[in-house]
Amino acid sequence: MRRHVGIDVGGTFTDAVVINEEEIEKKAKVPTDQDNLLQTLLSALDRLGLDGGNPVDEITVSTTLVTNSILQGRFPPVELYLLPGGGMKLESLSWPVPYKIMSGTIDYRGREILPPDELQWRRILQERRQNPLKSDHVAIVGKFSHRNKLHEDQLAAYWRLAEPEVHLALGHEWGQANFYRRSLTTYLNLASQDLWLEFARELERAVGERGCHAPIKVLKTDGGVLPLDQVRPVETIYSGPTAGVLGAMAQNPDASYVVVDIGGTTTDLGIVLSGSPLVSARGAKIGPYKTLVRSLAVRSVAVGADSAIVREADGLSLARYRLGPAYCLGGPAPTPTDAMCYLGVVPYGDRVRAEEALASLLPDEHHLPADLTGLAESLLEEMAGRLAAEIRAMEQEWQDEPAYKIWGVLHPHEARQFYVWVSGGGARGLRDFLQKQLRVEVRVGRFPEVSNAVGAALARPTFSCTLHLDTVLGRFSLEESGEQGKWQGSIRPHAEVDAFLEKSAERLAAAKGIDLTGTEKEPFDFFPIVQGYRTVGQIVRGRLYVPPGVRGHLNQRPEVGSRRSET
Amino acid sequence: MNKTGILFFPAFDWSLGETHPEREERLLYTQEQLFEEGVFDLPQIRQFAPGMAPLGKALLTQGIFPHPAKHDLTAHLIAAGSTLVLGEALAEGQIQNGFALVRPPGHHAGATVLGNRGFCTLNNEAILINHLRSKYGVKKIAVVDTDVHHGDGTQDIFYHDPGVLFISLHQDGRTLYPGTGFASEKGGPNAWGMNLDIPLPPGTGDDGIHYVLENWVLPRLDEFKPDIVINSAGQDNHFSDPLASMNVTARGYGRITELVKPDLAVLEGGYSIEAALPYVNLAILLALAGEDYDGVVEAEKPTRPQVSFTSLVSRVKELKAEYAQAQPNWVWRPEPYLPDGTWAYIPRMIYYDTEGFQEVRFDRVRKCAHCGGTVFIESRRPPSRGRYALVRIPFGACPQCSQAGYDLWEYLIGRVETVQLQDQAGAQVLFWHLDEGVTHFSTS
Ligand SMILES: [Zn+2]
Ligand SMILES: [Zn+2]
Repeated sequence: MRRHVGIDVGGTFTDAVVINEEEIEKKAKVPTDQDNLLQTLLSALDRLGLDGGNPVDEITVSTTLVTNSILQGRFPPVELYLLPGGGMKLESLSWPVPYKIMSGTIDYRGREILPPDELQWRRILQERRQNPLKSDHVAIVGKFSHRNKLHEDQLAAYWRLAEPEVHLALGHEWGQANFYRRSLTTYLNLASQDLWLEFARELERAVGERGCHAPIKVLKTDGGVLPLDQVRPVETIYSGPTAGVLGAMAQNPDASYVVVDIGGTTTDLGIVLSGSPLVSARGAKIGPYKTLVRSLAVRSVAVGADSAIVREADGLSLARYRLGPAYCLGGPAPTPTDAMCYLGVVPYGDRVRAEEALASLLPDEHHLPADLTGLAESLLEEMAGRLAAEIRAMEQEWQDEPAYKIWGVLHPHEARQFYVWVSGGGARGLRDFLQKQLRVEVRVGRFPEVSNAVGAALARPTFSCTLHLDTVLGRFSLEESGEQGKWQGSIRPHAEVDAFLEKSAERLAAAKGIDLTGTEKEPFDFFPIVQGYRTVGQIVRGRLYVPPGVRGHLNQRPEVGSRRSET
Repeated sequence: MNKTGILFFPAFDWSLGETHPEREERLLYTQEQLFEEGVFDLPQIRQFAPGMAPLGKALLTQGIFPHPAKHDLTAHLIAAGSTLVLGEALAEGQIQNGFALVRPPGHHAGATVLGNRGFCTLNNEAILINHLRSKYGVKKIAVVDTDVHHGDGTQDIFYHDPGVLFISLHQDGRTLYPGTGFASEKGGPNAWGMNLDIPLPPGTGDDGIHYVLENWVLPRLDEFKPDIVINSAGQDNHFSDPLASMNVTARGYGRITELVKPDLAVLEGGYSIEAALPYVNLAILLALAGEDYDGVVEAEKPTRPQVSFTSLVSRVKELKAEYAQAQPNWVWRPEPYLPDGTWAYIPRMIYYDTEGFQEVRFDRVRKCAHCGGTVFIESRRPPSRGRYALVRIPFGACPQCSQAGYDLWEYLIGRVETVQLQDQAGAQVLFWHLDEGVTHFSTS
C-alpha cells in the first residue's frame, strides 16, 4: 500500500492530507504563519499524526517560501553582470534590479563576434577589492549565452581565480532564449539559494526527528516534483495554483475543464485539456520579475471567500485584502462567506451572525429578509462576475497562442466541451452563481477544502530535455540543464539525433534522480542550412518530455448540478 | 498604451525546395534574435496567432487560373490570413500599428495567378487592403513598397484603382528582376497618378533612400491623405543581399519605418537569411514600437560601393521629370462584344520565374468618371490554348460599370475555359469553369 502525504502552504491556511491509494485517509488544516513556514509545515505534519509506527512513502510540500521572499525583497544582494552585445537597448525593458554592463558579443548561432575585454574584468575586480559592501553572490549573463557560453565561462574562470569564495551563477544554465528573462531568472535563483538550502536542511532534520524517514519532495510550478536538494529554488514559485490544478486532475480523469480554486483572498484559475494541464508559453512572472521558469497557464484573481467588503462611492465592493475569517465564523467583518451562509448555500457558519454581517452593510430601514437576500445575491454575483471575466480572458489567451508551423494552424486544439471545476472554501456557495454567469456546467468535488494538498500528494515528476543542434558549427545545447557540447555526429543526422536526444535525456534524468517513464516526444524540426545553393548542414530541434500529471485518481463521484435547484 | 501588434509566422515546416531561398531556415535566425532580445516582453508589443484566409477573400482580389484547386495555396492562405488578423486588430483599434512577419511573401503576385512568381502566389497586402475596404469601409489606402524589387504584383492589382496609391522604391529594373517599375508607369486611365515607381541606382544607401522618402514619397502621401498606410517591408535592400546592391543597413530600415510610419508593415522578400534578416526585422519592429533601434548593428560591415549623395539627388531630379512627362501606355480600342462605353486596351506579357513560363494578357478597363471602372483581363499560358477571363467590378462601382461587369460575365461563360467575376462592390465572387459550372465564393 502506498501512502503519500501532501501539504500545501496557502496564504491563510495550510492544508495537509494523507492519501492511501485512492482514498483520503487523513486531513488537517492549520493556520499559516508566514514568518515561520517551517513551523507551519511541521505542525501540519504533526496534525496528521506522522510517526515511525505508521510509515508514509513520500511527503510532498508546496510552499510559498521563495515566492514570499521574492515578493518581499527578502534576499541577499546579488551583483548582476550583463554582456548584452548589440541589439535592443537594455533600457527598453524595465529592470527591477541594478546591473553592470560588460563587453563581448555572441550572435544568434552562438558565434563570437566580439571577444570580452579582460582589462574591464581586472578593473571590476579591483573595484570590488576596495568595496567593503560587495556581495558574494555574482550572476553573469550574456546575450545568446544559451547558444554559446564561452564568454560566461571565461569570465567565471577569471573570477573564481580572483575570488574563490564567491557564489557565481551563469545565465546559460537557463538554456532558453530570452536574455532579459534569463538574467532575472539567474538573479532570483541565486538570490533564493541560501534561504532554500537552510529551509530544506531544517525540514529534513525536523521530519527525521519525528521518526519519519520518507523522502521529502517539493512541488514545482510546472507541476512536477523533485527532492528538496535537487530543485532550483526559483522553480518553486507559485506552486499553490499548480497544486490546485493537479488536485482537480486527481479528481477528474481525462476531461477538459477550467479549474477555479477559491482561497481566502485570491482565487486561482487553470485549464486542463483532455487530462493535461495547459502549460504557459512563456515563463512565470513574479512581482516585477519575468522569468524563464516553466509554469502551468494559471492566473490569480484578487478575490476570495474572505475578501473584505468595503463601501465605495458607488456601492459595495470586494477588496483585495482580508480582515480575518468570515463574520459568521467568528471573524471581525462581513465577507462573501457570510453571504453564502445567509443564503444557505454552504453547510457551515452561524446564520444569525451572517444576517448581522449583511445588515451592517445596509441602512437600518433595509433590514427585511428580501433586502438581505438581495444584497447577498448581488455580492456573490459580483464575485462570480469577476471570476467569469477572468475565465473568459484566460480561454481567449489560450486560443491566441501563436503557432509557428503550418501544421499547428491546420490542427488547432479542438474547441472542446468545457465544464468548470470549483474547489476551495466557498466552492459550494459560488457554484450556482458561476453557472449562471458562464452558462456551462459547474462541478464541485468531494474534497473542495483540501484540493491543493491532494494535488501536492499525487503530483508526479515532470521532465523535459530540449535539444538544439547545429551540425555546421558542430555544437549542441540542452535547454533545461544548460549543457553545451561538441557534436561529433554527421552533418545531416536522422536516426542518429533521435538516439542522441534519448541518451541526453537519460543522463539528465539520472542526474536529477528522475525515473523516466511515460515520456513523449515532439516531432523533430530539421532546418537545412544552405550556403550558396548547397546544403552544408542542419539545425535540428527536438524535445523529449514527461508532461505534468498525477500518479493516481481519488475514488469519488463528483456532485453534479445545482444545489439550489434541488431544494 | 499604443500597442504594436506582431504576427510572427515563420512557417518552419514549409519551403519551395530544400535549397530554395524561400525555405524553413529563412526566419529561423529572426526568431532566435527576437526571442533572445525579449521583444515580446515589451509592454507595448502584442503578439497575435496566425489565421487562415478563406479562399473567397483571395479571389476577391486575384484571379486564380485555371482553377484554385490547381495550386497549393495552404501556406499562402496562412500568410495572407495572418496579415488579415493583424489588419482586423488595427481596424478595430486593438493596435496602433503592426508587423506581419510572415512567409511566404506576396508582392510579385498580381491580378491573375497562373503560378508562383518571385516566390509569391497570393498577394498578402492586396488581399488585406480589399478586406479592409469590404469589411470596414476604409476608402483611401496607400502602399509603400520598400522591397528592393519592384512590387509589380501589387501594382498590377491596383493599377486601375483610384482608391489605392501604390508607391514602390526599388533597384532600377534594368539591373534587377522583374525588370519593370519605371517612372512612366503612372496608373490606368481612371487612376492616373495613383502609381508611383521610383527606380533607384545600385548603391543608393541609407542616406539616399531616406532622401527619396523625405523629398518625394512623404509629400505624395501627404497629398493623398490615406486612411491607412501599408509598408511592403522587403529586406533585400540590405547591404548583404546576394542579388541586389542597394547598401541599406538595418538601422537604415529602422529609419525607413520611422519615416513611412506605416499602420502595418508586411514582410516581403529578403534572402540574406543570416547577415540581414535577424537585424532588419528587429530594427523594423523596434521602430514600429517606438523603441531605440540604434544598437541594432550587423555582425558584418558593408563593403560595396555607394553612390555619391549628389549624384543620387540629381538622379532623383531626372526621375521626377520623367514622371511629370510620362504618357499613357494604353490605347482606346472598341470591340463589338464589349459592353457600352470606352475601353482602354493594354496588352502585356508576364514572366513566371519559378516555373519559367510566360503569361500573355490583354487588359481592358472601361473609362469612367464616376468609379474605378470595370476591368476585364484575358489571360493565356501559351502554348496551351485555354483562355481565362477575369472581370472586376471595383469598390464603389457606378451602376453602368456594375452592369458592364455582369454583362461581360454572362457573355464570357462558355467562350473561355474559366471566368472569374470579382464583384468587389457587391462583395461576391463567382467562378465558372468549363467542367464545373458556376461556384459562389463567400468573401466574408
Ligand atoms: Zn524582393
Ligand atoms: Zn463607373
